[in-house]
Amino acid sequence: RYVRQLQRLQLLFSPTAADARGARQFVEEAAQDFARQHPDVVLYVSPHSGPGPAPVLRAEYLNGTVRDELIASKTSEEIVQLATKLANQSGLDIIRIRKPFHTDNPSVQGQWHPLTNKPSILTVRGPRLQ
Amino acid sequence: LLLRAARPLLAGAGRGTGLGTAFSTAPPPEKKRWLRAYLELQRLQAPPQRRSEKPNWDYHAEIQAFSHRVQENFALDLLKTAFVNPCYIESEEARRRQLGLDKDAVALQLQDNTGLAERGLRFARAYLAQCFEGAYPELPAKGVEALVNFLTGQELVSYVAQNLSIQDLALCRDFPAPPDVLQRTFLAVIGALLESSGPERTGIFVRDFFIPQLIGKDLFEIWEIVNPMGLLLEELTKRNISAPEPRITRQLGVSTVLPVYFVGLYCDKKILAEGPGETLLAAEEEAARVALRKLYGYTENRRPWDYSKPKQGLAAEKAISSN
Repeated sequence: RYVRQLQRLQLLFSPTAADARGARQFVEEAAQDFARQHPDVVLYVSPHSGPGPAPVLRAEYLNGTVRDELIASKTSEEIVQLATKLANQSGLDIIRIRKPFHTDNPSVQGQWHPLTNKPSILTVRGPRLQ
Repeated sequence: LLLRAARPLLAGAGRGTGLGTAFSTAPPPEKKRWLRAYLELQRLQAPPQRRSEKPNWDYHAEIQAFSHRVQENFALDLLKTAFVNPCYIESEEARRRQLGLDKDAVALQLQDNTGLAERGLRFARAYLAQCFEGAYPELPAKGVEALVNFLTGQELVSYVAQNLSIQDLALCRDFPAPPDVLQRTFLAVIGALLESSGPERTGIFVRDFFIPQLIGKDLFEIWEIVNPMGLLLEELTKRNISAPEPRITRQLGVSTVLPVYFVGLYCDKKILAEGPGETLLAAEEEAARVALRKLYGYTENRRPWDYSKPKQGLAAEKAISSN
């Protein structure tokens, strides 16, 4: 069955800073809908008063990866899109994929080896081949 | 990462003047370069902490999220009991005794998860054994037992539990939780599901999480056998087929350091199986293993496992009767 890999989202922002306006709008309008649509993700909203670091959306995944995404000067809709993108990701590192294909069954009829189509020693040769 | 604030700090806020709520209890970003380097080193060398001791943790919400993640309805109090380990209760009582509380306050009201874990283990073993007997009817009891032991063994269960975030939710004495604790907790979760939702849903749960771990695994990696030829002879006598006659089918590089022999097993001059090997004995043993795989129906090209919805009633009756 499908198990969503995102464990929890922590929204760390300041209630007075100017660039956290989108974060505050997200908390007022869209955070509850997002939490209702994704019941298997725990959403923590922690405003810290006074000037502090930039507003950040921290995502923790089941395999232990923690991803921080800056949400400074983003609108509420953009934050919703970002949150859904994080919710649909797995926690694997985002690195360059070496090849765009992978298969677990590289061979259907058996991989060729030098003895595949050679007759065995026990095959009896008919009179015509001699 | 110590993120630099995009806006200027208050004047004189260099050395932690009560701005400790930034990122919930992380110290404020320092201005001195050497002090920043030292604090970063301290942070990296600090021992790992439980997730429950870090900021932003709500146990009840996490447990609800866990039940939604696994797409099962649990009775929440049963689930909470399932996460309590006996080592946690002992350590808590010891701590309370050390703090000098009287006996009433020392005794915790929590129950263990040992009962649930036993029930979960029994159900999981019975259900998996039933699955394998249905899917591979030729496989002998020892083989089924070996497969079930592998699937309910410590390593596999603790690996599955780690990737379902049970190590965050489980209450136990040591951190990081040792694999037997994780195994007990996961089996207790299965037991709790059995009590809440009944044997059918628990069977589907066990099937969905344990059987995919067999993908890519070979039968004889899991089931160690000592004498494949003897086992093959027994199997053939059971089916009234004559003893196999080994013959060399192909050989390459006989006089070199790395020869390859293909030995075929023939019963009544019909081929049974063929296996490669470095020496003649090794090739014969491998051919016996290939023959056993074919007889038990556990080859690589068998039909994949059937994960469709089971028919109502049959599976439940069998599971209840085997319990």
